[in-house]
Amino acid sequence: MTEPRIHFVGDDALAVETPGRAQRDSCAEFLRASRQWTDVVPGKHHVTVQFDPVDILPSQALAQLAEQVQRIPDTARRAGKAISLDLSIEPADAPDLARLAAENGLAIPDFLSRLQGSALTVDMLGFTPGFAYITGLDTALQGERLKVPRTRVAAGSVGMIHGQIGLYALPGPGGWPIIGRVKDPLFDPAAPQPSRLSPGMQVRFRIIGSAG
Amino acid sequence: MALANRLVGNTPDACATEITYGNAEMRFETDTAVALAGAEVEADLSGRPAPMHRTLNAKRGEVLKLARPSQGVRTYVAVAGGIAGEPTFGSQSTFLPAGFGGHEGRALRAGDVLELPAARKGEILETPVPLRPHMSASHVLRCVPGPDGDMLTGAAWNEPSETSARLDRTGIELTGPWPQLQDAAQRPSEALFPGAVQLTPSGRAFLLLPDSQTTGGYPHVLQVIRADRHLLGQIGAGNRVRVLRRTPEEAAADLRAKSALFADWLPGFRF
Repeated sequence: MTEPRIHFVGDDALAVETPGRAQRDSCAEFLRASRQWTDVVPGKHHVTVQFDPVDILPSQALAQLAEQVQRIPDTARRAGKAISLDLSIEPADAPDLARLAAENGLAIPDFLSRLQGSALTVDMLGFTPGFAYITGLDTALQGERLKVPRTRVAAGSVGMIHGQIGLYALPGPGGWPIIGRVKDPLFDPAAPQPSRLSPGMQVRFRIIGSAG
Repeated sequence: MALANRLVGNTPDACATEITYGNAEMRFETDTAVALAGAEVEADLSGRPAPMHRTLNAKRGEVLKLARPSQGVRTYVAVAGGIAGEPTFGSQSTFLPAGFGGHEGRALRAGDVLELPAARKGEILETPVPLRPHMSASHVLRCVPGPDGDMLTGAAWNEPSETSARLDRTGIELTGPWPQLQDAAQRPSEALFPGAVQLTPSGRAFLLLPDSQTTGGYPHVLQVIRADRHLLGQIGAGNRVRVLRRTPEEAAADLRAKSALFADWLPGFRF
């Protein structure tokens, strides 16, 4: 087995590189279950663990992590559950939809069918509570982060950049162009599973409303 | 907050109030022990002086008034037994960006009523002087390089930076000798913790505080060491910040030394 690639993220955290989503998710699950770390946070290509240097010296933490990642079981990739979300494309809910479709040289219905024809999968949750990074978007569709982020996007706003969808579960600042909005609640701190989406889930959008 | 809680007989993490830039009044509807720590404020309890770092016994009906702090940003007011409330995700803290936790998920405002435990008096205690955090407009933060630390030039380590007026509980903007980012500098999003310093396309840097995002894609060039993260909440606008370079092993020694300093006064406290 090749040596795992691990680096420090500050004085009390270590990141281990993971080659793909399945490996990353099984790595995160394994490290959480080991109860050796005060926090385990999956990112795009790494899993980052935090420790308290009062309990364990950084060099010992590094050795422990290097040893642990050699023992991560090869979990068979589980097919994620599917979820269907109603996507409102009313102009107030989709301020950047018309511009993004035009920039891609597509009529809005054609742009949306590319979105609906994509095999969308929740890659990870992060950034803010319930924010979902969704991959699998038709790579022919182009989109970039806004030059000046919005100070507030509505809860459920669906952002799009090249190759990815970003779902803002809660209202807050946002830098992704917004192509629609899911009005059903996506994050409830009082629920046993606060976020309706979880990594690996397959996402389908059902278009509701009209782009006007 | 841990120091204020200690003076009223609470555990370090008992629920207390955090008052940003002072100018607050609270009336007690029960007798209780109360204590102030953090940003230095002139305060009085119904006309009697209310010094920082000392247990105060408030009587029912008395009013604690805080002026604006002379130094520092956030003052902590702890009451004996802590403030009652239901935890969210295992904490009574308010998480403002998402609007949950604490009191209705929001900052306190005039007229709010917080529930305290039954009346109790407190033994008069004072925080040992060497343990009182020094409030100032210039700050020295010990840092290790972040995963993108090699993007920094020597100037970032040697010259001070200054905080702008853009600051809240999620982060503080720093102007200083930061390298200008190219467009390609956006990274795939990875984990971030409070104390991270990220470069932004504006040519400034952002120092993350406890309400920060959990992942992000801007280059992560510095990380304030765990032993010094408790200082971040007292950095105000227009303050000067210097960084001191540490290795992770040196930072662990710094943390152990600081923890040992507080161990007798705050048993069980973790930075």
